[in-house]
Amino acid sequence: MPVDKFANMEEKLWILEDLNMMYIRQIALSLQDSDIQKKIDHEIRMRDGACKLLAACSQKDQALEASKSLQTCSTRIMAYMTELQRMKEAQIMQKVTRRSSDAGPMDDRHPCKGKVAISDLRIPLMWKDTEYFKNKGELHRCAVFCLVQLGGEIFDTDMVIVDRTLTDICFDNTIVFSEANPGFEMRVELYSCCSEDDYSTGSTPRKLASKLSSSLGRSAGKKFRSAMEPGPCSPVGNGGATPLLLPVPSVPGPKYHLLAHTTMSLSHIQDSFRTHDLTISGNEECSYWLPLYGSMCCRFAAQPHCMTRQMMSGCLKVKQLGGEPQSWTKVYGVLKGTSLFCYHRQEDVEANVEPAFTIAINKETRIRASEKDPQSKVQNICISNQYGGEEVTHTLTSDSREDTHRWMEAFWQHFYDMSQWKQCCDDLMKIELPSPRKPTPVTPKQGSLYHEMVIESSDDLSTVSDILARRMQELELRSQLGTSPNWMSLFEENNPKSAGRPRPCTSRFSGHSPCTPHRPPRSPASPHRCPQLSLLSSDASLTSDSDSHCSTSPCSHRHAWPEPSSNFSLLSSSPSRLRPRTFSLDAKLSTLRGRGFRGGGTFQCSCQPPTSSLLTPLPVSSRSPRSQRSTQTTLSCSSSTSSNSSSNSEGRHSPESSEGAPFSRPSPARRSLRNLRARLDPRNWLQSQV
Amino acid sequence: MTFSNVPSLQRIEIKKLRQGDNLILGFSIGGGIDQDPGQNPFSDDKADKGIYVTRITPGGPAETADLRMGDKIMQVNGYDMTMMTHDQARKRLTKKNEDVVRLLVTRKSLEEAVKNSMGGYQRQ
Repeated sequence: MPVDKFANMEEKLWILEDLNMMYIRQIALSLQDSDIQKKIDHEIRMRDGACKLLAACSQKDQALEASKSLQTCSTRIMAYMTELQRMKEAQIMQKVTRRSSDAGPMDDRHPCKGKVAISDLRIPLMWKDTEYFKNKGELHRCAVFCLVQLGGEIFDTDMVIVDRTLTDICFDNTIVFSEANPGFEMRVELYSCCSEDDYSTGSTPRKLASKLSSSLGRSAGKKFRSAMEPGPCSPVGNGGATPLLLPVPSVPGPKYHLLAHTTMSLSHIQDSFRTHDLTISGNEECSYWLPLYGSMCCRFAAQPHCMTRQMMSGCLKVKQLGGEPQSWTKVYGVLKGTSLFCYHRQEDVEANVEPAFTIAINKETRIRASEKDPQSKVQNICISNQYGGEEVTHTLTSDSREDTHRWMEAFWQHFYDMSQWKQCCDDLMKIELPSPRKPTPVTPKQGSLYHEMVIESSDDLSTVSDILARRMQELELRSQLGTSPNWMSLFEENNPKSAGRPRPCTSRFSGHSPCTPHRPPRSPASPHRCPQLSLLSSDASLTSDSDSHCSTSPCSHRHAWPEPSSNFSLLSSSPSRLRPRTFSLDAKLSTLRGRGFRGGGTFQCSCQPPTSSLLTPLPVSSRSPRSQRSTQTTLSCSSSTSSNSSSNSEGRHSPESSEGAPFSRPSPARRSLRNLRARLDPRNWLQSQV
Repeated sequence: MTFSNVPSLQRIEIKKLRQGDNLILGFSIGGGIDQDPGQNPFSDDKADKGIYVTRITPGGPAETADLRMGDKIMQVNGYDMTMMTHDQARKRLTKKNEDVVRLLVTRKSLEEAVKNSMGGYQRQ
């Protein structure tokens, strides 16, 4: 029975694992290194906890986090074991050497250690453009995190869910290794795990799995199969280097796989962002695959201890330059970083008083011990630096020979450190310590760069609508006073774009409207207008609710548009209005004029143009016609939510209202405007008036 | 009384109306091979990228000629409209030198059948 065999296998693995644990513990014990032993015990306990949590948890997020902890713990245990073995070997080697000969001169200089930090990791992704923009196909999501290893320390970053709306994977963590040798090797590994529910079946029996995968669709089956096969895509997740010393327990749940790795060392350190190459493992067939661009950007900095700590301090006597030969100044010297700070008194160091003077100690400095001073029988130390073109030499001495010897030693050590840490000692690099964890702010779905660049004018539109609604009310009030707000000119006669316009306009209306070029009729007309618009809106809400097909619903139902003449009283010319117009506005107005000729009878849906004419001066960049639609209804003095919501359903229809009035052909300029707007939103379904 | 969903072909002749400089037909179109067919409310098949009549201006020449909302325009003056971009379609309908357009449209027949069965309902 295949199922039984599989269960047996599992049991065997568990036993093997336990044996490994015991072996590890034994080694640690024998080395009598309690430090590592404690660490290993700790990790093993964490690991057990993670396994239990993984088996018990039901939510996908929890499972991913637990699996990540498991992966981290396993890797750490591996690292400790490697360290243990090394130490064991060293111990044995020492015994051997001691037996064979005297230990050689053990005064090999060791460079000072330092702090190494990596932060702001960013890994760019390279989605196919079809996947990215069109948003077609199922959303393939992966959970990723990084493991960073240096020496015996392993740190993990937070887990990030990645799908094709992201352009980069960003890890905000700062990882600091406190004690690193200059010859360190830092390994960064990117682990990823497919984050779809169906594929987290690590322990499905093989036969069942093949049946399932063959019965599923082609692509789904492929993914499924690769998620379960232990092929090249899914190594035992321990970094691949030392197989099966510590097999990962086969618990059900998501499993992380190594997606990419890179190794960095001292030469990669720089006090700024740099790009490093990644070695990618896995291929497109794997479930955990992500299209990586192949590089990684990060900030990789180091602070050697010689730059941050006081390497040597003590009392010195400095010979005055250019003064009398035997005058010495007593100073308290502190060797730190690239300088020897000389303070008047020792207390000044703590008091943060500025040093009396500073002698540069850097790669260009030359230090030598001079001849024994005949009087004090102590050697002098001469420090020479090049300042500009000049060579400046400071002569120091101390009270006793031992002190001088120690200072010389300190200087040699300092030079050695600087030679080992190379570019890190040029200047002190800044390392930000990770601050205590703030609760991560709930960011909206980490959008992509492209989506961020879209001008979302829905906010603008609502504020504009509010403003307009308020102004409508103002208008009602003000109309009594006989004045009218500036924007009323929208409803009025076209301002001359060319000089010749106004006159013909007035002449047209003279016959039809009771009001001619003078102002007062506006007052009766304007309150007239508002009720019209409110009537419009109520109809709009009615029709929008009932008939979602009818995009410009008001028109088809309204027959009660009042006499155009009274309406057009608004259109009495007023050359004083100098509000600039948009082209489609002209279309509306020319239409209205034309309609004025024909009287109210034939064409009754002039309701459409005036309100829609208000739309055009509003943000043209609006992405969706929905916003236009809502503006229209809001303008109409009603904020009926029904019209807004139903306008959403019809909002898919393109900015038709900008096409111009029902019966006018949009001019080329208007057409281009419309086309531009349509092109800005590829999801519009364009409608054109013919 | 027949109920069927077989679309019926209609031949519709619209005489353009002159309005100043413009010749207008009095309806709106939607669709085209460059448009997203999923947003067409009139089509049965949401992959249909044809040109549909989305609105009829009341009292306009199209209404007079009995063009209806939801009709799919197959031909205009003999030219096939089923494989056209939106703008091409619009241009074909609005040729300045043509006073009359003869459209071949298909319309969902159920509506037709019901209307006929109700007897006597005639749109003006």
